[in-house]
This record gives sequence, structure tokens and C-alpha cells, in this order.
Amino acid sequence: MRDVYLVGAGQSPFGAFPDRSYRDLFAEAYRAARDSVDRGLEAADVDEAVVGTLGVGGRQLGLSGPAVTEHVGLHNVPCSRVENACAAGGFAVRNAVQAIKSGFADVVVAGGYEVMTDLSDDVTKYWLGVSGETEWERLTGTTFSGLYAQMASAYMTEYGATAEDLSRVAVKNHGNGAKNPKAHLDFECSLEDAVDAPTVADPLNLYHCCPTSDGAAVAVLASGDVVAEYTDERIRVAGVGAASERVGLAQRDSYTGISASQVAAETAYDRAGVGPDDLDFAEVHDCFAIAELIAYEDLGFCEPGTAPELLREGRTDPDGDLPVNTSGGLKSKGHPIGATGTGQVVEAFDQLTGRAGDRQLEDPRPRYGLTHNVGGSGGASVVHVFEREREGVAR
Amino acid sequence: MTLEVASVGAYAPRYRLPADGVEEVWGQFHGAGISETAVPAADEDALTMAAEAARLALSEGSVEPADVPRLLLATTTPPLEEGAVAARLASFLGCEDTVETRTFTAGTRAGVDALATGLEGDGPALVVASDAPRGAPDDEVEHAGGAGAAAFLLTADGGGPIRGRAERTAATPGTRFRPAGSDETTGLGIAPYDRSAFTDAVAAVADDLEADLGDADAVALQSPNGKLPYRAAGPLGVETAAIREGTTVHDLGDTGAASPLLGFASALEAGGESVVLIGYGGDGAAAIAFDVGDVAVATRLEGAETLSYGEYLRTRGDITPGEPDGGGAYVSVPSWTRTLPQRHRLVAGRCRECGDLAFPPEGACPGCSAFEAYDEVTLPGTGTVEAATVIGQGGAPPEFVEQQAREGAYVSAIVALDGPAVEDGRDGSAATVSTPAQVGTVGDESVSPGDRVEATIRRIYTQEGVTRYGFKMRLLE
Repeated sequence: MRDVYLVGAGQSPFGAFPDRSYRDLFAEAYRAARDSVDRGLEAADVDEAVVGTLGVGGRQLGLSGPAVTEHVGLHNVPCSRVENACAAGGFAVRNAVQAIKSGFADVVVAGGYEVMTDLSDDVTKYWLGVSGETEWERLTGTTFSGLYAQMASAYMTEYGATAEDLSRVAVKNHGNGAKNPKAHLDFECSLEDAVDAPTVADPLNLYHCCPTSDGAAVAVLASGDVVAEYTDERIRVAGVGAASERVGLAQRDSYTGISASQVAAETAYDRAGVGPDDLDFAEVHDCFAIAELIAYEDLGFCEPGTAPELLREGRTDPDGDLPVNTSGGLKSKGHPIGATGTGQVVEAFDQLTGRAGDRQLEDPRPRYGLTHNVGGSGGASVVHVFEREREGVAR
Repeated sequence: MTLEVASVGAYAPRYRLPADGVEEVWGQFHGAGISETAVPAADEDALTMAAEAARLALSEGSVEPADVPRLLLATTTPPLEEGAVAARLASFLGCEDTVETRTFTAGTRAGVDALATGLEGDGPALVVASDAPRGAPDDEVEHAGGAGAAAFLLTADGGGPIRGRAERTAATPGTRFRPAGSDETTGLGIAPYDRSAFTDAVAAVADDLEADLGDADAVALQSPNGKLPYRAAGPLGVETAAIREGTTVHDLGDTGAASPLLGFASALEAGGESVVLIGYGGDGAAAIAFDVGDVAVATRLEGAETLSYGEYLRTRGDITPGEPDGGGAYVSVPSWTRTLPQRHRLVAGRCRECGDLAFPPEGACPGCSAFEAYDEVTLPGTGTVEAATVIGQGGAPPEFVEQQAREGAYVSAIVALDGPAVEDGRDGSAATVSTPAQVGTVGDESVSPGDRVEATIRRIYTQEGVTRYGFKMRLLE
């Protein structure tokens, strides 16, 4: 099958923009992605579009995909919408890869968008809660923070992890996000702040939870056959993996790991021919602090129960051996549901092409980066491994 | 034939409102002779309390719910003015769909009336009286109003035969009544008129009884407050000690239709052997005399948390905002109804391929992913907490906002339900199946992984005017 390359990526700022429409945000992301393509991208070049959104608040539930792509002039380009809750944006990128590998398309625009901050508190809680298992789980009065809190309670009971261990995720990711001009919560926080914050769903406090954000992100993917028309700097989609899992937490074999992520990672590593030790950085789905700890273990960065050690030892800091969430992650950069997964790909593109500004990882510039995007409490997961091909190395 | 009492169960909610808490706010307390009243939790009502008492009675007897052909429910405070509440109780308990159900209401005598009706006919029969009277905030009915339920399992040779029965009607308009459309019971408060209506009626049925009340260890007399029953002691020809032995009014308040039946349960616990029940209300009185030497009893009447008057108003839903705008998670009533065996009785499935349990028993097997049929198994209702969180004030999703407004933070957990203890002759308890569930707490109870819990029936939430009942867990003592 043909290789697929990431030739451009861009995003709107993530944040609270209650006065902006989803089309407006998508337009900004599309413009940024288009302009990031070295030799430019014309609307006529695009064969296919795939976009992810949950449709928070019920706005434009049907045909919101074509609504955004037509808005930016991708006229008559087939567009379909992917819905996998918080993993919609990551799955949109995966669908783009499939379209190119199959030979159906040479250039595909993948993206995601969400507007969440213009809704009343009650409407937000309604929409955010219905991506879990509704008939049984939701009707115990739980919320998403409640589900991840349940996972945290099980993890802390099993491994003896502490509130400090959870809080280190916030400290690290806020430190990174403070350097990201596109981040929603672009401020640093101390460990003390993150430990003493008010409880949201015991044992999770405010600093253990990501914000709800508005935003959009877009990636442009091209086949090996046409990549040279767009850039000389080849960022290859080296591996992609995805899996589903039972939507209700209680239905699963484990509450301290997400099997969909484990399978997605194995598949992606296998296809890329690399392992976790080869990675230079990773963007993982830290919707809640416990999710980042669990991600380290699901993605094979460490053994089950040892993620807190990785954080304590600073190994996932920007100067550690595997920096995680240099963008600030969902915690600091923000979490506009449908846009999040594609937003991670934007950070991967920026890091691999040396465009990450103050956050740029150097000496040497990274070669392999991973993105990890989870839907709901783990009902869907998608992992991508990107590789910056070395100059003069033909594949 | 006339049946005998085989076993009795009694239940009261765990919240208590002390008399001085009311007096602090109103400057006086009108519930004469009452030290505190039982207050239903936000997710309790006459129906859930009835289920609690019925399960206790069944736990002491040797009759399975499926073998109960008659179910009689008495309450003056049904959760719906029209609606088949007894059928729901039958579903909670696991009665067959051939069970005869009868509902007795419209007067506090309903409990004794249901018992009198249940005693005559083929057995077994289950009679449940459950009530939580309310009145206007400064009214005597309100200050006295408590909550509780009692259930009597009746069988042909139960061990508690009746010695006599009597009934009198006396039209006494303006005594206790509740106008249509109101949830506040009231009365004209004409003290001498009310008092003689009570005393005359109960004395008349006592007179009609062939048994001599003076020989009874306890007289379980209707107790709208803690004073009136004692005033009737003289006309009845009994010692006040016998009245005291047969009432729970001092600690639970006025329990309406359940009052004499709860008094009976309490007298049984105290070791009484001869007990007379006298119900009053709904214009008349009814009495039944029992020998109860051999009747088993199980009660759950202890209070666990004292409420301030403000907390009481909140718990009752008097000062809460109601369902918020903006919509909530929607589970249609027909689809909820399809899952009643699971919501009410924890009916799970056993996978025919791998033998694992599945709850609910639908879709692919959680153990082996086989997409085949399940064999039905009913779980015993106990389990172990695997993961838990506390949804703090303000954090509830819209459909649980009212519950949270009434009761504050609540626990949402994952519970590994125990498998059936004995199934096909083997011990099946080692296998568990997990479900999300709320775990109710009172006082300073907290919930952590590893805690043992048991299922009970509660109101889950109300949407479109329809209350969905289902299981919630509580900590095992």
C-alpha cells in the first residue's frame, strides 16, 4: 500500500470564544493548515474531506461536515463526518489515511471542530454526559469527571498512587501550555495549587480536569505519489492503530487501563516498525490527570502502576527522555472535543518540522512522534506514529 | 380459610427530625408525645419503603416471592393518585404476573383493612402498609408526620393465628382528610370532636372483639400522635403500658396506614405473645386480635442521621429548584420498562458459551464476546465496590440535579455483584458481574473500593412525570 504523508497542519487557538461559530473556527484552522503546506494547497487539489465533531449543544446535527468544508471553498469535495466523541478528530485523520492508502484519494483534508463555551451549565452537562453508556452508567448520576474519578479510585487503590501523583500531570502540562500561544489555559501552576484545588469528583480536583474549549484543527495528508508537489520535508504517517472498547466502564475487564488504547498502540507500533523506546515525544489524551498516567502504561512507556514514577523523575518533561504533551495537552491547551485529536497532529507536525516555537524540542530535532486520542472513558482510541524521513533516505 | 401471620418485616427511613428542631423554627411543636420523626430520603417514597418492609418479611419466612399469589398494599400517600403502584411493588419483589394485587387507601385504617382482607382467603398472602403523611408546615399533621412501612407474610400455618376481628363505620366528616390534588393532609382541628370520634370508634371495635383486651401484651393502636392512643387506654380497658408496647409513634412519628402494623412489629420484637391491632381513620375503626407466639420478625427501624429543619425542608424537596432547563439524558419509558427485571430484581444472564455472568443479559458476552443466548439467573443483590467517586454539589448531570439539591453529594460507583450462591447445585458466588450503581450513604458513611454493599429499591429519577424505580446499593453493616 502507498505511503501517506502529513504535508500541512494548523489550528485555531483553543479557548473560550462564545461569539465565534464552528464554521468560523474551522476556517481559521483550515487557513493555517493550508498556509503551512510548503508549496501551497489549492482547493482543487483536495479529493476528500473527513471531519470530526460531537455536535455539542445540538447545533447543526446533520451535515455539519459539508457545512464547514463548503464554507472554506472545498466546493463539491466529498465530506463526511466522524463521530467518536473526544476521539472524533483522531479518527478523522485515520479515515484520511485509509482513503489515501486505498487509492481512492491523493490529497485529503482531515479536521475537527467544536463550540462548547456558549452553552448554559445545564446544557453542557447534558451534552458531555451522553457519550458514556447512557442507560445504566449515566443513570447512576455520573458525569465524565465521575467516570475518570472512578478509574482514579481503582488506580489509587491498586497501586497506591496519590493526589500529588495526579497533580504532577497538571504542573507539567500547564508548564508546557504556558509556552503555547494557541493554548486555552496558558498559565503555569504549582504543585501546591494543583493539590489544593477544589474537588470536582472525588478523588479528582479542578486541576485534574481539562477545560471545555472552543476550537478547530486541520491536517492535510497526501499520498507518496504526490507528496513531492507539496513539500520536500516528508513527515510520514508511519503507523496508525485504532480499537473500540465497551462503552460502559463497568463492562470492562479493567478500570486501570484502556484496552482500546493498548491495542491501538500495538497496531501502530507494529505498522511503523518502531516501539515506545524509539519515540522522541508523544501527545497523549489527558482529559483528566488519571488519563495521562494510564496512557503511559497503555502506550508501553512504562509498566502498569509505575506511571507516577515517570512523572516524579521528570522523564516526560520537555527535557526528559520522552517529553509528553509539549503542547500543554488537553489540560492546558484545551479540549474542544471534535478538534482535539487533529490538534494533537498539529503539535506533532510542528515538532517534526521545527515550527513549535518556544516549545520546540531540539538536539536533535525529533524524528518519531506519537499521538493518542481517546473517546469517552475509553470506548474508542486511535494512535498515530509520525516519522520525519531523513533527507536522502529513499523509501 | 383464615390465614395466620408467619413473619413480619418493618422499615423506617434513616433520617430523623427531632421535635426541638421544629420548635426552634416554629416556636412550638404540635406533635404531642413525639420526640422525633422519621424522614424519607429524597429517593424514598411509600412504594420503596413498602419494598423494604416486604423484603424483610420475606427474608424471615419460607415463601419465595414467586409463590405469593396475593399482594395487598395499604397507603394514604401513594406516589401517584392514579397509577398501578401495587403492580410495581409486585415487580420489585419478583411476584409472578398472576399475583392478585389490591391497594387500600383513603384512610389511615387502610393498613388494618388490608390485613383483615389478606387473612381471609387462600395463602400465602403478603400485606404491606407504608406511609409518609405530610401536612401544612405549621400543622399538627405535619409536625407529627413520620414515615415507615410494615409487611405481614400470611400463610395457612404461620404460627400467629387470629383470636378475633371487628370493624365499625362512623361517618365523621371533617376529621382527618386530604383534598384531591393536595399532598397535605389536614383536618378541621375541632379537638373534642376529633378526640371522641377516635375514642368512640376504637372503643366500639374493642367491645366487639371476642378477645379481652386486658389480656393482651400490647395494643397496637393507631397513633396519629403520641398522646391520643393513651387517652383511649381507659375506654379500651387496657394499661398504658400495653399501648406503649404497641406503638412506634414516639420515635418514628405518625406513620399513617402503617402505624398499627409497625406497632405490632415493635411489640413482637419486645417479645409480646398476644397483640391486638386497632386501626382508625377513614371514618371508622377495625381491630384484629392475634396470638403471636411463633411469628418471626425482622426490622430496620434505627435512625442514622439527625436533620436540621432546613435540611429537612431540603430533603423533602420543599426548597429545591426542580428539574433544570436544558434537557437531560433520555431513556424512553418503553426502553426502561424492557429492563425492569434488571432494574428491580437484578436478573442477569449466564453465557451458554463460557459460563460468565452478563448484566444486563444482552449483547455479546463480557467474558468471551460470544454473541449468543443467556440463561437467566437472579443475583442475590450483594456485591463489592470496585471503583467509586463522589459527585459533589453542583456536579450532577441535569436529571440528577433535583436529587442532589435534596440530598447533596452522592456516590456513583462500580459494583461487582455477587453471583448466585447456589445454582444448579453448585456454589456460583465466586463469579461476579459488574454494574454501575449509586451507593446511598447517610451520616458520615463513605464508600471505597473493597466495601461490601447490598441492593435496595429506590427512585432513580423522574422525567415527564414518570418516576423510574430501580436498584441502588447501600453499605452492608
